[in-house]
Amino acid sequence: MAGSLIKIDEEIVSSAVASVELGGTNWDSSYDVYMVKLNNITGSVDTQHLFLRILVSSSPDTSANYDRARKQLKADTTFTNSSNTNETKTYIGQQIGTASNSQTNAIMYLFNFNNASEYNFATLEELSWRQAGNLHGNQGGWVHTVAQASNGVQFYMESGNILSGTFTLYGLKK
Amino acid sequence: MATQEELQALADQEIEDAKPLYKQVNNERMEFSEADYAQAKTDLGNSKWQEQQFGYVQARQEAYGDLASQLDMQYWDLVNDTTTWKDHIAQVKADNPKPE
Repeated sequence: MAGSLIKIDEEIVSSAVASVELGGTNWDSSYDVYMVKLNNITGSVDTQHLFLRILVSSSPDTSANYDRARKQLKADTTFTNSSNTNETKTYIGQQIGTASNSQTNAIMYLFNFNNASEYNFATLEELSWRQAGNLHGNQGGWVHTVAQASNGVQFYMESGNILSGTFTLYGLKK
Repeated sequence: MATQEELQALADQEIEDAKPLYKQVNNERMEFSEADYAQAKTDLGNSKWQEQQFGYVQARQEAYGDLASQLDMQYWDLVNDTTTWKDHIAQVKADNPKPE
């Protein structure tokens, strides 16, 4: 269906920043489902993860309520399961760094962000060309186990800065 | 093995040394608030602790190699009466020790 993705916010990083926020005061609560696109995200420190937190009233929620469940597919070795509960953030990019072409790309679909009576859920489809020079992918998702409405997401590196990349938030037209 | 307090002190110093840090909101690049700096210190301290305590898990998983290669090692160990696979696993564990 043409025109079904409506761009709400886009952050293009061209100078190093420690965190990026999508939504917040730009959040449009008229959608049921949102899509977040991460393109060519690079970091300043080697072998670091890219993390995510939800924004509640435009502030990052740092509470230990993030659960994740993914299958990690690895070009250099066998796959593994990746899961944990009650974390203070959730994992998106995997061990990227300053090596040539090291970057993260991902698509997430966000559910229930405007529903104060339900948990926030997201599916995750992610690929990272890691600092080690190999490809790892994630298929799965995460949930924030608090019944509350949210109005965006924050991204930050485990250590160091996000050097470049494009973060885009879309609403799925009903 | 560093204590959690020692790692937190290291993280605090790293963030102090890295100042100024910026965040991008609404396509504006602005310096962290005091609350942002405090959170960044906590996050980096926790990250260092997690890496020290649990980093060996992923390191071992990657060093073990894929299952097909391990099965191949086990097959030839049976055929040749060798201990290549057992030695390999022991070496990986020794190279990536579990914290006490």
